[in-house]
Amino acid sequence: MKSQFPLFRKRDILVFLVAAVLAIAGFLQWIPKSGTPVAVIEQNGKEIRRVELSSITQPETIVLEGEISVTVLLEPGQVSIVHSDCPDQICVNTGALTRPGQSAVCLPARVSVRIVGENNSGIDGMTG
Amino acid sequence: MKLSLSSVKKWTVVAAALTVLLAAILVSQLFFSKTSAGYEATAWAMGSYVQQTLYGDGAEDTATDVSSAITELENLISWRVADSDIEKLNSAAGTEWLELDERTIDVLEEALSVAEATDGAYDPTILPISALWNFDSDEPTLPEKEKITSLLPYVGYEFLRINTEENTASLRNHGNGVDLGGIGKGAACDTALEIYQESGIDGGIIAVGGSVGVYGSKPDGSAWRISVRDPEGKAEDGLGVLSLKEGCVSTSGSYEKTFTEDGVTYHHLLDAKTGYPAESGLVSVTVVHESGAISDALATACFVLGIEDSLPVLKEFGASALFIDEEHHITIAGEMEFEQISTDYTVSRQTL
Repeated sequence: MKSQFPLFRKRDILVFLVAAVLAIAGFLQWIPKSGTPVAVIEQNGKEIRRVELSSITQPETIVLEGEISVTVLLEPGQVSIVHSDCPDQICVNTGALTRPGQSAVCLPARVSVRIVGENNSGIDGMTG
Repeated sequence: MKLSLSSVKKWTVVAAALTVLLAAILVSQLFFSKTSAGYEATAWAMGSYVQQTLYGDGAEDTATDVSSAITELENLISWRVADSDIEKLNSAAGTEWLELDERTIDVLEEALSVAEATDGAYDPTILPISALWNFDSDEPTLPEKEKITSLLPYVGYEFLRINTEENTASLRNHGNGVDLGGIGKGAACDTALEIYQESGIDGGIIAVGGSVGVYGSKPDGSAWRISVRDPEGKAEDGLGVLSLKEGCVSTSGSYEKTFTEDGVTYHHLLDAKTGYPAESGLVSVTVVHESGAISDALATACFVLGIEDSLPVLKEFGASALFIDEEHHITIAGEMEFEQISTDYTVSRQTL
């Protein structure tokens, strides 16, 4: 005998299906895409740290020891080289990086900080 | 409430349509972000930071090939590398002709062409003087005036002779020396562009320090946009943006390698005539040319020459240039697509 109150009706299953698709879609949206700006810190060509800019909630200082020591500051939405023992200070003068495509480089220390991700700034390279 | 058969069918159709739509959006998004981001690679070579962004099939392998080729080139043309072609050439100065790698001969030939056209404003034989200042070291020093005076006679591009048929070169006198620091980064861009062309990738951009080369096209087909750095570092996005469809661009700036002694700041763009940093009222020069090596050497030459004397040289090479002077004025000479961003500078144009 067929129950008067089945656990699922056909209509419920369809609602579940739609809800599931929406949930998966939302989840995939939430997963960081390659477009999300990510700060990459490298020393001597070796990756030291890779951090999503939007995930930074409070300032963090990273000291890269070496013959020439360099200090990198991670802050919500931006990253900068705040100190270097190098003579020219070009890296420090570069200031804060906020968008994909930007980079700060300390040549003497062979330290680079750059932001990768989908390039919305419309800049492909830099000269000077 | 009772559900009729027809309304169940309706729900099924709506659900199926929604599923297909969402799937389509997701797939297209994933695909789009993948192709438009490009493949990025970084390395260190030529005393510089090397950055590549490549689009299309085989991007990763191509980037690796380029990195090795640039390191190979550096090991041929850097006077600091033991057993490099240039180190051997310098050691043999005043003695015999040497057979060198074709790549070295090519760069020497390009260096000589700019040296001759600019009457030595760019001079590849600057080594006796540049080694004295030693701007590439951690502690560059102000040389004694007597030392500069005594070494200046050893600088002169006419001492460098090359035979392109036999791939040989020689330096005439003991004490002559070649320093390709002012052309090497541009030459590295040329190396990269050649490999990009052979590899079959869709497009690529390489930056070796301040020299940039572009090849092919981006996924959206637009021109490559290259930001020109603000010499004072104030404008985060640079002074403006230069659009390039192909070729190379190089910048020589007095802010790049400097040191200060007794309140005077010295920069690395040396005038081969005086042995001291060039004083032409300029802060930087950016040169666009199809060849990276030529654009690099011309940037140095134009910095030393100043705007007026640079114009005929730019015309001769079919190059264009952007000059930034100490008065915060930008002069654009020749055809160049430049979009100003920083309002701290005034801009004028000059035909060649």
